[in-house]
Order: sequence, then structure tokens, then C-alpha cells
Amino acid sequence: MDIFWLTVYVLIWPVVVGGTLFVIVRAFYREWRQARAEGRGMV
Amino acid sequence: MDLETGDYQLLAGSVVLGLLVLFYGGTFVMSLFIGKKKENADGYMTAGNKIGFGVSAASMTATWIWASSMYASATSGYTYGISGPIHYGLWGALMILFIYPFGRRIRAVAPKAHTLAEVMYARHGRSSQLMLAGSNILGSVISLTSNFIAGGALIALLSPFSFRQGIIAVAAGILLYTLWSGFRASVLTDFAQVVAMLGAVVIIIPVVFFAAGGPGLFETGASNLSAQQSNFFSSDAFMNQGAPYIAAVLAYAIGNQTIAQRLFAVREDLIKPTFITATIGYGATIIGFGMLGVIALYAGITPIDGDTNNLIPQMAVTYLGPVLLCVFFIMILGSLSSTADSDLAALSSIAMADIYGQSVGKKNANPKTMLLVGRITMILATAAGLFFATGQMNILDLLVFVGALWGALVFPVIASFYWKKVTNMAFTVSTLAALALFLPVRFEWISMSGATGYIVDIISIVGVGVVLGLMSFGFFGLKIARIIGIAAVVIVAPFAFGTLHEYAVLSGSLVAYSVSTVVCYLMSVRSKQDFDFSTIKDRVGDFDPVETVTSDVDPVVTSK
Repeated sequence: MDIFWLTVYVLIWPVVVGGTLFVIVRAFYREWRQARAEGRGMV
Repeated sequence: MDLETGDYQLLAGSVVLGLLVLFYGGTFVMSLFIGKKKENADGYMTAGNKIGFGVSAASMTATWIWASSMYASATSGYTYGISGPIHYGLWGALMILFIYPFGRRIRAVAPKAHTLAEVMYARHGRSSQLMLAGSNILGSVISLTSNFIAGGALIALLSPFSFRQGIIAVAAGILLYTLWSGFRASVLTDFAQVVAMLGAVVIIIPVVFFAAGGPGLFETGASNLSAQQSNFFSSDAFMNQGAPYIAAVLAYAIGNQTIAQRLFAVREDLIKPTFITATIGYGATIIGFGMLGVIALYAGITPIDGDTNNLIPQMAVTYLGPVLLCVFFIMILGSLSSTADSDLAALSSIAMADIYGQSVGKKNANPKTMLLVGRITMILATAAGLFFATGQMNILDLLVFVGALWGALVFPVIASFYWKKVTNMAFTVSTLAALALFLPVRFEWISMSGATGYIVDIISIVGVGVVLGLMSFGFFGLKIARIIGIAAVVIVAPFAFGTLHEYAVLSGSLVAYSVSTVVCYLMSVRSKQDFDFSTIKDRVGDFDPVETVTSDVDPVVTSK
């Protein structure tokens, strides 16, 4: 592997983690709003 | 560096104390928001089987990421080079993914269950339940101990406090926010913990990479790597790290009550997205952390005291400033706490449902007593974890044994959810026979020279077919699974025969799979049993009285 691809290989993981975090936080926020609107707890 | 005396102080005691209060105080306040004066026993175990995607995905990700997996991935990167983190993190992630099709089946058969062992009791009887529950308890206590040790070591490393003070602070903090609301507190606080963990990963990995030299490091440090370490398709990495992990994929997922508990807690239609998101989140986080080991290898860093578990903290104190060091501290604290609180919730559920609930019977179980049993279990489990952690007991051999027990249980458990003919006797005998053959192979109690080695090779090659066949079965069904299993045996046999027994970890696991599968199949195939799966949901269900809601009437409490 050359230097460019090794760099991509190291740095791609924080990007994927960031994307996953976004998906989780967005879903949590939506569920929190919905639960609040319905007057019930989330768990 | 001496982790126990803490002579490697980098954060002031007041800062560490402040971070501990901030973290555990914050999670405790979160748990107060959902706390009820009168908790519900089913809610305490599975949050009513209806939690949403955001909470469940966060919880599954946070639970599966523990401090030890971060350290182990970095160790793999440091030891095996650029492919090392993949051979640790990818297969660990697939443990979550490969269990989800089976999870959907388990949930369909027992929609209101609390533990897998509870379902096994309904399917087979006491001995099957005991083996599964026993392995779950051992696994969770080991995990709890390991997380306490990681917390104590971290605090001793970064502060003037001792290892012993560290484990007590961590154990008390976790128990504080988990004790009252159980699983509900565990899953809700997992969200905050996963935000802290994943957020820290996004920042810390690039910062360490560029501080260590950035892309230029791959040029200047290339000479530090052996040919195998530089090779992305390293056979060393595959045979010693990747292959044993592939074999363990189904075992750890089946044997882990923390996964089963989330499987029963999430809304049934959200099982698939939850498990897929957790797979990606776990995989990227752990592989990403493994890159710190690869960077250390390129940078020519030697682990302090020769212990590769020191690599991640060492990289942190070398390349991070005080603020990011605090972020790092919170991240590790989040990873170990989220797993440890799940272990406490898992242990309390087993005590509530399997020990108390099944012993007095579902109809006779008193929810108040169940809650008391759950809370006492949490306190006792914390005490046991502290005892093992302070005693510096070697828990790794125990973990190997539990892993083998889980491997031996995989086929009997999965088959019990699909095949009507599997009997309690077949389940029990096949598991015990697999364990009996695993032990001498894994711990090399017998010489592998001559015919013994060849016999172990043949059994292990069958095990390869079993593992790949079971993995395929979940996604593609029996026909494809048979083809893949047989093809795997035919393809692997010429390469593996004569050599597989040289890899004790791998061949031990494969023997456990192989023997349990063959014995369970042979004992069941002629059985006259014709089990009706629809009876399970009647025998495994809610312990609390059910609240019935009608359109114009307030909730009415009725007895089930």
C-alpha cells in the first residue's frame, strides 16, 4: 500500500464513526421529541 | 511505569476527581429522569420490549465496545501490523451482525422473554437452562472484573490515586446509576456514553496520527515493520488473530446475555437496523483504535514494561494535550462503564428470571420480590467484580473456558429454535462432549503428534464447515447453508489437514463447534420429539400485571 492509501486507511474510521454517531443522535432526538409529544418516557 | 502505585501522574487529582464526579454524577442525574418510585420488574429487565432505534442502537454499540477491546485492537495493530486491527475489529463487529437473523427468530418464538436461558428452559428444561445461564453469569462477571481493572489501571496511570481507589470509584459510580432502574438506566445512559466515546474517537485518532508525523510516518517508519506486518493479507495475522475470531463470532454473540437482553428490549421491527448500525459503529471504532497500534509500530514506540495494554494510554499521554487527555479519560470511562452497567443488568435479569422466576413459576412470581432479587444481585456482582479485580486473579484462562462453552452451545441453541427434533438430552450431552474434547486440544494436555493430530485436524475441518454453514443459515436458509458448509470443508481440507492442530486456539474452538454439532445432530435425527414452538410464548412472558388501555378509560390494572 502506498502512503496515500495508508493515510486513507487510517483516517477513514473516524469518518465512519462520525457518520454512525450522526445517525444515532438524529434517531434519538426524533424519538425523544415523539415521546415528549405523546407524554411518555423513552424507555 | 507502575500502574498500581500511580507514579506516572499526568492529571491532577482534583481534575480526575472532577471528571469522575462529572461523568458519574451526570449519568446518575440522567437515571433520575427515568426513575420511578415503583419500578416494574419487566421494565427492570427489558424496558417493556419496545425501545426505539436511537436508544437501542446507541446501547448495543456502547455495550459491545469495552475498554479491553480498544486495547486489544491496538495490540493487534502493533503485533500484526496494518491488517491487525481488521482481524480484531471486523470479526468482533460481525458477531453483532451474524446474530441478528437468529435474533429475529428467537424474538418471534419468545417475544416477551428476558433471557435466552429462560427460553431454553421453556424449550428443553432445567439442564439446558443451567448451562446457558451459568455461562452467561461467568461471562458477565469476567467482563465486569475486566472493566473494573481497566478503570482502576486508568485512574492509577493518570492520577495520584491508587489502583484500588480507582476500581472502588468506578464500581461505586456504575452501581449508583444502575441500581434503581436496572436495564432502563443502562440503555438510557448508554446514549450519553456512546456520544462521548464516538465523539472522542472522531477527534483523537486524527490528532494522534498527525502529531505522530502524519503521512510521512509511513515513509520514515516503514523499516520498523516486518514483511508480514507490512502485508495487508498477512497469513500470520489471519491464522493467529483473524481465524480464531471468525470461529468465535457466533459463540460470543449467542453466549452474551447483554446482547440477548437488547434483542428482547428493542421493538421487534427495529432489530435489523439496530444490529446493522451497532455493527458499523463498533467495527469503525475498534478498528480505528487499532490504528493507534499501527501508528505506534511505525513510530517505533516500545510499550512501557513490554505490556501492549499500555499502548493506548501511552499514545494518549505522548501525543494529546491536557484537554484532549481529559476527553480520552472520559472516553475510556464511558467504554468500560457502559459495558459494566450492561453486565450488572444482565446478571440481575438472570437472577430475576432464571433463578427466582423459574424456580417459583411465572404465575407465582412476585414482581416486588423480583426487583429485590435484581438489586441484591447487582450489589453482590459488584462486590464479586471488586474481589476478583483486587485479587489480581488471572481471569483470562476462565475467559477461554467460557468462550469454549459458548462455542459448544452455538449449534444446540440455534438448532433448538428451528428444529423440532432437538431434545434436552441431545442439547446437554452434545455440549458436555464438546467441552470434554475442547479442553485437551486447547490447553495441549495431549500430544498432537501422529494420529491424534490428524484426528483433531479432521474434527476441526468439519468445524470450519459448521461455522460457515451456521453463519450462512441465518441469512440464506438451510439449502445454501449446507452447500456452503460442505464446500468449505472440501476447499479447506487440503490446506488444513496436517497443520490445523498446530494452532491450538483455533483448533480448540473448531473442535467445540464440530463435536457439539455432530453429537446433537446424531442424537436428534431419530428422535420422535415434535416440539410445538408456539407454546414457548405462553410459558415465557411478563411477570408484572398488564396495564390495559382503552380509548376512553384510564389505564386499568388487570392481572394476567
